[in-house]
Amino acid sequence: MKMSTEIKFNIYNPVITYEHRAAYDMVLSQLHEIFPICNQGKCKALEVTDDPQKQKQINDLMEKVEYISDSLINITKVFFDQMYRAKESSSQSIAHSMAKITIDMVERNLLERTCDVRWWALEKSFWECVEASNVAVINSAKKSSIKLAADSNMAIDIKSIENTLSDRVTIACLRLEDIRSSYTLYRDLVLVNSNGKVIATANIDRRERLLGVDVSDEQWFKEALKTKDGTEYFAQDFCNSKLEDNGSLIYSTAIRNKGDEKGEVIGVLGVLFDFQGECQIVLNDALPKDVNAETLDGWFSFFTNNQGMVICSSDQDFIPPGLVPPIPKSHRTLRNKGDFKFSTAVFCGINCLIVSHKSEGFDDYDGLEWTSHLVLPVASMFERHIENKDFGITPKELMNSHLIPEINRQTFQEIQRNTDKGDIQLISINGIVLATDLGKSGKSFMPIFDQITKTGSSTTGKMELLLSEMSTDMLNQTLKALVNLSNQAIELIDRNLFERAADVRWWSSDFVFCEALKNTETENYDDVSRRLAVINSSYSMYRDLVIADSNGRIVANSKLENREKLKGVNVSDQSWFRQGMQISKSVQFGVQDVCNSDLESDKTSLIYSGGILENGQRVGKALGVLGIFFDWEALAHPILEGCVPRLDSNIVDGGASFFTNTDHIIIASTDEEHFSTGLQVNIPSANLNLKEGESTAGMFSANGKKYIIGSTKTKGYREYRGLEWTAHVVRLID
Amino acid sequence: MLYSLFYVDKTIMAVPITTILEIVRPTKFYAISGSPEVIDGLINFRGKVVTVINAGLGFGVNKVYPTDESRVYIFKKNSELKLVDGEELDSDICPDNIGLHVNNIENVINIEIDELQPVPANMVHPFYKFVVRKGDDFIIILRPTEILNLNKDRDLLS
Repeated sequence: MKMSTEIKFNIYNPVITYEHRAAYDMVLSQLHEIFPICNQGKCKALEVTDDPQKQKQINDLMEKVEYISDSLINITKVFFDQMYRAKESSSQSIAHSMAKITIDMVERNLLERTCDVRWWALEKSFWECVEASNVAVINSAKKSSIKLAADSNMAIDIKSIENTLSDRVTIACLRLEDIRSSYTLYRDLVLVNSNGKVIATANIDRRERLLGVDVSDEQWFKEALKTKDGTEYFAQDFCNSKLEDNGSLIYSTAIRNKGDEKGEVIGVLGVLFDFQGECQIVLNDALPKDVNAETLDGWFSFFTNNQGMVICSSDQDFIPPGLVPPIPKSHRTLRNKGDFKFSTAVFCGINCLIVSHKSEGFDDYDGLEWTSHLVLPVASMFERHIENKDFGITPKELMNSHLIPEINRQTFQEIQRNTDKGDIQLISINGIVLATDLGKSGKSFMPIFDQITKTGSSTTGKMELLLSEMSTDMLNQTLKALVNLSNQAIELIDRNLFERAADVRWWSSDFVFCEALKNTETENYDDVSRRLAVINSSYSMYRDLVIADSNGRIVANSKLENREKLKGVNVSDQSWFRQGMQISKSVQFGVQDVCNSDLESDKTSLIYSGGILENGQRVGKALGVLGIFFDWEALAHPILEGCVPRLDSNIVDGGASFFTNTDHIIIASTDEEHFSTGLQVNIPSANLNLKEGESTAGMFSANGKKYIIGSTKTKGYREYRGLEWTAHVVRLID
Repeated sequence: MLYSLFYVDKTIMAVPITTILEIVRPTKFYAISGSPEVIDGLINFRGKVVTVINAGLGFGVNKVYPTDESRVYIFKKNSELKLVDGEELDSDICPDNIGLHVNNIENVINIEIDELQPVPANMVHPFYKFVVRKGDDFIIILRPTEILNLNKDRDLLS
């Protein structure tokens, strides 16, 4: 059998627990006792019989015992090494995936922000406001140059410009406020004119302080002015800005003349992402909690930027932002996307494992070259799982299952072979048979065989215990990994749907829609359809966007190819429409859970709706409903695919992930053969009836095979409550 | 006297240690065409050809299949049998070595002569010699003369 020549965890390694050291000592000392006994047996054989065949038989038996003991001694030495290595590598891989998930979550979020800022910059009230402000600036310049001019015409002119400006600023501020209340991820949004003066903001509490502030020397402003067209944006990495007291992460893009994507740059829209708040959520989610929901001691997670400075951490007092964290330099200077590193070092006075993973960006979004770090006490990697749920699987089945890494499986089998009680039993009974044959003189062999039997059964018993401990530990680790994956799957979908829910609320407030629905006589919805098409062209996840009037008749949609089919269709009995009409505040939205809808030919539809309120007000009567149709499969599949259990980037045997709704019906799945969409799943009820945010692991049989499963029920994300779905991740064990 | 215990189906049985040559794991059985089903086949034991009888079929219960736990008793032939400690033995076992394939073996126990009780009348069987009560268990001591002497009692086995 292949054995690693270098023993990393020898028995004197401090991480080896006292119990294991004691077990090792016991097994080894007992095995060593066997050799003198065997020697004694061999001597006795010469003494009691002259029959060379009998002597040989006894010798053979003794040698067999010696051989078994010898191989047990050798294997016991590597056994602990392998047991700890297995624990180490599985803990490391779990820690690595946590580090990766945290940065992934943030990157996906940032990607959405880049879409947002570009889309908002096209808003009419914004460019009108900037335009008015720029005109006012030019005029006030003129005014000062002719200082005491008596031209009353000009004075009136200036007056009217100022009036227009103040009106437009008010509207722009209202719209900015709307955005901020639809998308709760922003601390503030600011509109800046071409001179670099802040002219409108979203955050009412800070508006007075910010209006008129000059940001012309700030990088995000300068870079936004340089953007070539509406598709470009600038992301200012963590820095200090006049807009805020703390560090800021600012996304900016140019406001262009008449909202034309290719128009002349007239100003800048800057959005201040609440990334500390967001990162805190993500970072803290990655850490294990005690019964009081406090993070366990010795566990930390944080992000560093490409300068190696902390930008956000789970413990802001201990690892303050803006400083270099006390971790090895190589962790702070990972070069390439997706690079990662493990080290052990003393952190906070404890010997810790430090895992770092450099962001890979997401899709075609490069990210800001941040690195995610997770710090955990080394001791925690080797902790025993106290809670031992009985899954109805024997340790022996487990040890021979796919859960156990190949090298460990070999060791197990080797131990099983050697500790097979049958072998020792056979040797000792045959010994007794021999001894009996020798008559009286043979009696002196009895204690020898007795001892061999005793030692044999006590060492094999001990080894079996260790093996079963090892295999249950591996099972628990694997279950933990599955639970983590299910948690990741549901989080990603919730975060994504949160964005969609924000989108639908914001779009419903578009002036084009309420204008068109107000004039019921004209029935001219071409503008509306055009507007919907513009929106949909910036996003890839919607099959269609439709608008239904108050009678439930579809009057406009975004995709030309569906127009014939949808036009005039009555949707008044559909849940999404009814919910939409109930809406009286712009912060509300409706949703129709994944189901079959006649509006779409595809198998499953997920429809979100927003109320189009009278005069585009924040509170009012709904004039109609905006419905957005998700490309549900295209949304759910990549997320599920990313959460299938893998080993070295290959999907493990029978690995699959799927979502279920409240009726326990699968709504999306990576394995249509075994867990098909639309069918009720047959998994343990504990996994189906979870409470909000709860996770559990289990084991079940399906399709004639044994699976293990990790499940997490949605806990929503920010103010988005989720649709009570549960994510499940499974893999085969035999 | 020492007895080796083993299971056939759910029954514990025992044979005297002195009649055993060796106990081995089931290896390859060479089938003999035309032999009764009760014979598993021949095995090569230290150069000797030994016929192996399936204990399960011999007692009319489930057949014993070779597993990790099943074992084959190799019994001595007459010429190998001798008096040990002066205890009386069945003088005639079998002219040849014979194997008995059993489900699994248990430990070795000492049974005094006065513990041996005659087989109750309602369970008389030509193979059974004595019954021994050990705690809650009843152990049936086999009569090796009968079970192993195929030549004499072929009818019973087939």
